[in-house]
Amino acid sequence: MPTLPDGTIRVDNVWKKFRADRTKPLFYDQLQRIRKSVRSGAPEYRWVLKDVDLEVEPGGSLALIGINGSGKTTLLKILSKVTYQTAGSVQVQGRIGALLSVTAGLHPDLTGRENVFLYGAVLGMGRDNIRKKFDTIVEFADLTDAIDRQVKFFSTGMQMRLGFAIAAYLEPDVLLVDEVLSVGDANFQQKCLARIDEVVRGGTTLLYVSHDLASVEAACEKAVWLSDAVVRASGPSKDVVTMYRTAVEKNATLLSNKEGAVQVLKADIRAADGGQLRSECETEVSLTLTAPEGAEASYYIGISQGTAFPMFVVSHQAWMPAGEFEVKCRLGYLPLPKGHYSLWVAVTGFPKGQRDAYLQWQPLVSFDAFGPQRRNPPEGVMVLSPIHVGAEWQIS
Amino acid sequence: MSDPIPVEDSGAGALRVPDLSAIPDEPPDEILYQHRVNLVESVKLLWDHREIIYTLAERDFRAQYKQATLGIMWAVLSPVATLAIFVIVFSRVKAFPHQGIPYALYAFVGILCWSFFASSVGSGGSSLLTNKALLAKTQFPRECFPLETMLVNALNTVLSWVPLAVLFVIFGRAPKLATLWVPLFMLIEIAFAAGVMLAFSSLIIQMRDLVQVLPILLSLGIFMTPVIWPFSYIPSHYHVVGGFYVDLQWVYGFFNPLGPVISNLRATMLLGHNPTWGPLIAAMCGCAAYLALGFRIFKRLEVNFADVA
Repeated sequence: MPTLPDGTIRVDNVWKKFRADRTKPLFYDQLQRIRKSVRSGAPEYRWVLKDVDLEVEPGGSLALIGINGSGKTTLLKILSKVTYQTAGSVQVQGRIGALLSVTAGLHPDLTGRENVFLYGAVLGMGRDNIRKKFDTIVEFADLTDAIDRQVKFFSTGMQMRLGFAIAAYLEPDVLLVDEVLSVGDANFQQKCLARIDEVVRGGTTLLYVSHDLASVEAACEKAVWLSDAVVRASGPSKDVVTMYRTAVEKNATLLSNKEGAVQVLKADIRAADGGQLRSECETEVSLTLTAPEGAEASYYIGISQGTAFPMFVVSHQAWMPAGEFEVKCRLGYLPLPKGHYSLWVAVTGFPKGQRDAYLQWQPLVSFDAFGPQRRNPPEGVMVLSPIHVGAEWQIS
Repeated sequence: MSDPIPVEDSGAGALRVPDLSAIPDEPPDEILYQHRVNLVESVKLLWDHREIIYTLAERDFRAQYKQATLGIMWAVLSPVATLAIFVIVFSRVKAFPHQGIPYALYAFVGILCWSFFASSVGSGGSSLLTNKALLAKTQFPRECFPLETMLVNALNTVLSWVPLAVLFVIFGRAPKLATLWVPLFMLIEIAFAAGVMLAFSSLIIQMRDLVQVLPILLSLGIFMTPVIWPFSYIPSHYHVVGGFYVDLQWVYGFFNPLGPVISNLRATMLLGHNPTWGPLIAAMCGCAAYLALGFRIFKRLEVNFADVA
C-alpha cells in the first residue's frame, strides 16, 4: 500500500457488525438465544456500517451527520483504532488526536492539575509538551482558580471545559471530534469552534461528528451523511446538510400525520402581491382546517429550515369554529435569505390548562424563497438561524 | 461502492449520492478484516506509550491513598496485618520446619511474593473493566491497563519491604550476600504474573463470571504455593512406574513458577545458599510459556474489547 501524506484519512468499503443482542448475558437467555437461532436461522448480528467510503485530504475538514444510531460514532472509533472494522480497509496517516468523549479520561479523585497531565498523556501528549502548554490550557478552560481542586468538586460544565481544553492543544495531524461542542455555555462553545478552526487552519485534518448542523456548516467544508449504516450523500457540507434537512423534514411529516382533532385540508404560503416569495416581501399564509367542535384555541405558525425548531413563530388566540374554517395570517416582512424552508403549524387548546394539541406541531408545506444569498459569518462562527436582515451600511 | 451519481458541482467537489441498491448484504470475503499482530511492533508500540503506563499508575497510586486518613501508610500496614495473622495461626502449630529461620521472617518473604502476584492478577485482571470509560474512548495499546495496575502493585510491594527490613533488625539478622540473586527471581515472578494477568484481563471482559471466579482461584492458590509451607515438601525424586524418576520440583516449578521463586528467595536472602538451578530453570521456561500464552490470548481478544466493554 502506498504511503499517504500525513493527515490523510482513507476509508474503503468499511463494514462493521455488532452482535444484535448484547444485553442478556444470563445463562438462561443464552440458551434461549441458541435455541432461537437454531430454529429460525436468523442472523444474530446487525450491520452498523455497510460499505462506507470516505476520504479526507491533509488539512481538509469533514463532518459526519446523521440521526442517532446511524453509525457516526462507530466510524470515528474505527478511525481512532478504539475498535476494529469487520471488513474493509482504514488508513489514517499521522498522529491521531481523538476526542470521543470530553470527560472519559478525568479521574474524580485527582485535582485539576493532576488531571491535565493524566488526560494529556492518555490522549497522546508528552509530559514536557503538557508542561509547556499547561498555562494556556488552564486559561482556555477558564479554571485558573479551581485547578488545584479535586475534579469531583468541579461542576459538569467545568469538567467538560477542562477536558476540551486539554484536547484542544493536542496538535495532532488528524483530529477526530465526536459531539463535544455541546460543552458549556454559548461563550465557551464559540471559543471551542474558534479553536477548532484555528487548529484546522494550522494544517490539521478534521473529522467532526455533530447533530448541530449550524456548527457543521461553520466548521467543515465537506460532509458525509450516514443513515442506517450506509452513506446517503457526500460532498460540500452545505449541499449535504440541505439534503439531510429535507429528509428529516419528510420524516417529521410522516411521524406527525397522525389523528388529531383538527384536520388540514389545505395549506399555502405566498407573497401578498401574488408574485414569487422573496426576501422582505409581505407574505400571506392561509390554512383550511376542519374541527369537530368549537373551542377556544391558540394558532401557531413558524418557519424552519430542516428541523422542528423554527427560526421564528407567530401565534394568535381565537375561537375555533366547528366544521370547515379558514385561517389567514399576514406577515408584514419575510426575513429570509434565498433558500428552502418549511412552514410549521400547530393548534392547541386555550387557555393553556388544556394540554392536548388539536393539531400537533408539524411541517405542512415547504417552499423556496428568492432573494439575496445569506451572508457568511467570519470563519468558525456559527449562525443559529439564517435570517435575512436588510441592512444599509455606511462607513466613513 | 458503485459509480456515484454526481449531482451538482461547487467549490468543495461534487455532491455524491451513492446508489444504495448496489450495496451487497454482506461484505465480500476478501476484504474481511484480519487482526495481524506483530510481536516486535507491539512491544515497540508499548514502549512508545510507556509514559501512559506511568501516568495511569501514578493516577491509581495517588487515588488509592488520597481519601484514606492513613494515606500511604496502608501500603506498609496491610502486609504487616497479613503477617500477624500468619504468625498467630501457624507459628504455634510448629508443623512446618523452617530451617532455623524465625517463622515471621520465613513467612513474610513468601507473603510478599504471593501478595504481589495475587494483587497483580486480581486487580490487573479486572483492569479493563475498571477502565471501561477510557477503553471505549481513547486509543493506545490496551496492554497499558493491566501493566499499569501491575506497576501500582509493584510500588506497593516495594513499600512493604520496609517492614521486611524492620523484621531483619528485630531478629538481629542481615540479608546474605546471595541476596544479589533476588532481581532474577523478581523478573521471573513479574513475567509469570504478567502472563496470567493478560490472559485473565482479556477473558474477564468477555465473560464477567470470571470476576467472581478469580478471587476463589487466588485464595486457593495461596495454599498451593509454598507460602506457609516449605518447597521441600515437594519430592525432588519421585518414582514413576517403569523404573523412571521424575523431579516433581521441576514439574511444579514449570506450572507454578512462584514455588522455586519463593524457595530460592528464602534460600539466598535468609540462608545465603546458592540458587537451586533445576527448579529455577523450569520456572523460567514456565513463566515464558505463561507470558507467551497470555499475550497471545490478549492480542487475539483485543479486537472487540471496546465493543463488549
